[in-house]
Amino acid sequence: MSRLEVNNLLEVNNLRVDLPVEAGTLHAVRGIDFHVERGEMLCLVGESGCGKSMTSLALMGLLPRKARLTADRLRFDGIDLTTLPERRRSDLRGARMSMIFQEPMTALNPAYTLGNQLCEGLIRHRGVSRQEARERAIYLLERVGISAAKDRLNQYPHQLSGGLRQRVMIAMALMCEPDLIIADEPTTALDVTIQAQILRLLRELQQEFGTAVIFITHDLGVVARIADRVAVMYAGEVIESAPTPALYANPAHPYTRGLLSCIPAPGKTPPGSRLQAIPGVVPSLVGHVEGCAFRNRCPQAQPTCERTPPLMSLSGDHRARCHYADRPVPAPRPPETIS
Amino acid sequence: MNAQPITEVAESRPLPSDSASVSRAVTPALELCGLSKTFTLGGGLFKRGRTLGAVSNVSLRIPRGQVMGLVGESGCGKSTLAKMLLGLTTPSDGDVLVDGRPVRGADQKALARHIQPIFQDPYSSLNPRKRIAQIVGLPLRVHGIGTPREQAAHVAETLDVVGLPRRAAEQFPGQLSGGQRQRVAIARALVMRPDIVICDEPTSALDVSVQAQILNLLLDLKAEFGLTYLFISHDLAVVEHLVDRVAVMYLGRIVEEGTREQIFGSPRHPYTRALLDSALTPEPGLGVPDIGLGDATPDPSDPPAGCAFHPRCPKAQATCRQQRPRLEDIRGDNARVACHLA
Repeated sequence: MSRLEVNNLLEVNNLRVDLPVEAGTLHAVRGIDFHVERGEMLCLVGESGCGKSMTSLALMGLLPRKARLTADRLRFDGIDLTTLPERRRSDLRGARMSMIFQEPMTALNPAYTLGNQLCEGLIRHRGVSRQEARERAIYLLERVGISAAKDRLNQYPHQLSGGLRQRVMIAMALMCEPDLIIADEPTTALDVTIQAQILRLLRELQQEFGTAVIFITHDLGVVARIADRVAVMYAGEVIESAPTPALYANPAHPYTRGLLSCIPAPGKTPPGSRLQAIPGVVPSLVGHVEGCAFRNRCPQAQPTCERTPPLMSLSGDHRARCHYADRPVPAPRPPETIS
Repeated sequence: MNAQPITEVAESRPLPSDSASVSRAVTPALELCGLSKTFTLGGGLFKRGRTLGAVSNVSLRIPRGQVMGLVGESGCGKSTLAKMLLGLTTPSDGDVLVDGRPVRGADQKALARHIQPIFQDPYSSLNPRKRIAQIVGLPLRVHGIGTPREQAAHVAETLDVVGLPRRAAEQFPGQLSGGQRQRVAIARALVMRPDIVICDEPTSALDVSVQAQILNLLLDLKAEFGLTYLFISHDLAVVEHLVDRVAVMYLGRIVEEGTREQIFGSPRHPYTRALLDSALTPEPGLGVPDIGLGDATPDPSDPPAGCAFHPRCPKAQATCRQQRPRLEDIRGDNARVACHLA
């Protein structure tokens, strides 16, 4: 094992998640590889149905009962998660890896006070006294910028605004000082001003506590501002991964390039001009998927693309799953309108 | 409804087209005069409830063929305003003028001929049990326009216009993708050939790759039919791309209004500035800015005295706590701002 790998908190090789559906088998995650280093922020980015949320549930061991998970390797801090019994798994959950969900109103239990919910994990996992747990809860609520933290412990989730609830979720995720936090679209339901505040806070705390974060989002603006590394997902695969600056400077996969040119860039895209769009729709993942899943929407598709593309290694830590990832970028073709 | 202009309407004046020499060309396609909506919360048979001013005294004019962006946080009254324009909610006060003529709340059908909506979520705004042709043709049937044969032809033509294949007419919403559904919603809005389209977050339920297709379509349609849009969105990059003018709303009131260049280039209201700062553009290395807003999220049923934004404003002074700033065209550049410090 090389020195680099020793530093990896999480290693994922050839992770697959299959879900039985009426029409057959839905291949939600189709053999993805990635790793998370200690203390880094990895962003998983992709559109709806690309498998990013299924990936996070697979890591947490929270997949739907019917789902089938296979992996060549799924190791968290050296622990093999594929063979870990559920009882040991639940010892990890909340203690060493915790999760922040998109909608804090549904993730928090409306019938328990915040104090109850904040302290539960610490008492369960660390066996501390209620008093100690409350003290840590107050400390963390103050750290996430909630005033009158002591009084808040006796409040119920509905008494808080959406932004405050998401702050409580962050504090809850930090209670046991986990090594890894998985944040699934934690700011998507919030207003932009609140989003900026929450992201800033999350980044600050992550760096202070040295926690690794897998941040799942569809927003490339958010990714650019907070990620150390990015993995772009499409149709159940990681199609490109790179350190953040490299991905934005030299996107190698046509899908990544397409995504980046879809968003109007203030100062660059002339107002009112036609935007570059990605024609077509995401393919169905029910049944066997052959070849490059993006080829029907790809402006550069060739007959070769009928074959499954290899994961090409570009400079440094930059990889892309495209036959032509190492070729120069062709001139953009005229924009499409028909879907 | 009280059509008497209350004193505060004067806030919006003087604007150039208010002068005596009003010509047909400068009559705005859509004008809102002191439009307000209050809701009553709680209360009972003998107890008076609290009132919540969802929209307070909003005056706006949208010239023909232009796009007015409306931005603000959730709960600021954007959607209530849209509902009043669509005749789905009766204003508590104020007037809506289409083409310079006031439209009363009761006259819903007439309003619908001129103003049509495109809603946020194409998954819930289309009836799952109706075929696309029925959904798109419904407005024609409601208004009794044309024979069934003419209606069918008109529907087919409209599907072409929004870039849907003819075969979509016989399909159900469940058989279409999100982008296609939003095209259906656009077709339904356009089949009446309205002058004005209210777009309430038309792309926020769509994936980014599809969003661009829909925005391109909206721009094409505007050019082709000379449409006037009120474009409500929280995505500032999209707003900047699409609009001619922008109105910024905070707690039911317009706090700043001006051209795209004025608002995005040199915002004057601290709230506008904070909104623009918190828009995260895809530029790595910039980090997340500290926008300097406190956590004092306001309660709309108990708005702060003075300037409603003062508890979160980094520059608030004593005046801001006591006196509500008027929305005024201070510099005479046809841009309005409601801030004591602007």
